[in-house]
Amino acid sequence: MVNLIRAELRKLLGLPTAWVGLILGLLAAPALVVINAPAVRRALADGASIDASDLGFQNLGIGLLGAMILGVVTVSSEYTGTGEDAPGARQLTASLTAVPRRARLLGAKAIALSLVVTVQGSLTAVVTLALTERIHGTAVPAPDPVRVLLAVLYWLLIGLLAYAITLIARNGIITLTVLIVNSSVVSVSYLLTKVTPLAAYLPDIVGAHMFLRGIDTPVEISPLTAGLVMTGWVAVLLAVAGYLFQRRDA
Amino acid sequence: MITIDRLCKTRGRTRILHEVSFDARPGRVTGFLGPNGAGKTSTLRILLGLDRPESGTALVDGRPYAGWHHPLTTVGALLDGSGAHRARSARAHLRWVATSNGLPRSRVDEVLDVVGLAADAGKRAGRYSLGMSRRLGLAAALLGDPRVLILDEPVNGLDPAGIRWMRTFLRDSADQGRTVLLSSHLMGELAEIADDVVIIDRGRVVARGTLSEVTGSHPTLEDAFLTLTAASEPW
Repeated sequence: MVNLIRAELRKLLGLPTAWVGLILGLLAAPALVVINAPAVRRALADGASIDASDLGFQNLGIGLLGAMILGVVTVSSEYTGTGEDAPGARQLTASLTAVPRRARLLGAKAIALSLVVTVQGSLTAVVTLALTERIHGTAVPAPDPVRVLLAVLYWLLIGLLAYAITLIARNGIITLTVLIVNSSVVSVSYLLTKVTPLAAYLPDIVGAHMFLRGIDTPVEISPLTAGLVMTGWVAVLLAVAGYLFQRRDA
Repeated sequence: MITIDRLCKTRGRTRILHEVSFDARPGRVTGFLGPNGAGKTSTLRILLGLDRPESGTALVDGRPYAGWHHPLTTVGALLDGSGAHRARSARAHLRWVATSNGLPRSRVDEVLDVVGLAADAGKRAGRYSLGMSRRLGLAAALLGDPRVLILDEPVNGLDPAGIRWMRTFLRDSADQGRTVLLSSHLMGELAEIADDVVIIDRGRVVARGTLSEVTGSHPTLEDAFLTLTAASEPW
């Protein structure tokens, strides 16, 4: 299994698109801290009612795009055509001839992705929070280590969520578009919360409750509940993806 | 030894394989012949565990392909395309394949040499010509020095020198005791190298045996093939 994980790490980190996800994820959140700094300073000076402990953590959200891209690319690179010469030829053929036991292949891929995304999430969280502290000083309370851990866990879960959805859809472009639009332009889940408070338990909303306090949702969700619900979503989607991957013709 | 026993497969509403059975034995080149769409690739994909049969079995040395822990040390397979992601260099592709099966890194350069790609190993696979892609696919198949070779249309896209090279390579592999199974729709090519021939038409095996048995009283393998398969579909 160690060889398999090493092979999957090599595959993932050998893709230019994976590096786009890696670098984007690493840089976006710290950049946002700097861009937002003047506005935040003003808000703090005016004594606006914001939860100051949320400040650095809120900016982390944008970096999740990086985790999503990595989750998608891990799978979509298997399904991309290898060239016009051979329509229908994909890397997946090479992967499955090398590793025909599908559960092992999926497991190795998920572990390789988790390693990369966890390192990315940890670095981003540390840099973003340190930068927030440096810019805003004592106006922002020192981050609670448990919240940092939960933020990194959320980061990892988002990566795995994107991985599972792409496995089900077998298409990276559709998955990535839906994920990005939902997290940046219009959040379908957020709109649904206007219809039913239960929508607050959809993955992209419930997950944020793991490490953010001042979120405007119709129901109170504790970090523990949020973590459990989010992990549940990811586990179910991974199970569906694994079942389909086992059954489908490659 | 490859043993294919009563494979059936339906795709959509069409039955694409009807009880396909044949063997490919060690030390021999077995040619798997059929018109386009006859079921050659479907049979090979099932043999490699990529697709699932409805019924029947396909075994390599008595085991299904997915039963091999590090399959590349037993079976080398070449299907459509190189299998390499377009953005990856040939060397990077072969390295991950080698790593996945616990093969030493030195094998990568060895197989690149064997297939004549050493000079272009740093190029991205997406920039390869059809012939180079085939060579890269073959290089991956040879990484584990397997005793069974399964090749789908291996000479497609190769230039005359490449075709001759492939012919010699396959002959030598069989002479060294390997099992070689290759599919083709090129009669002339197959008649040159095959010891045994299996002809498939519309998902059914219509003839199998040694080259001379299948050719029978016909002047060439091509004549035999056309008689056996054209009976059902005149041009």
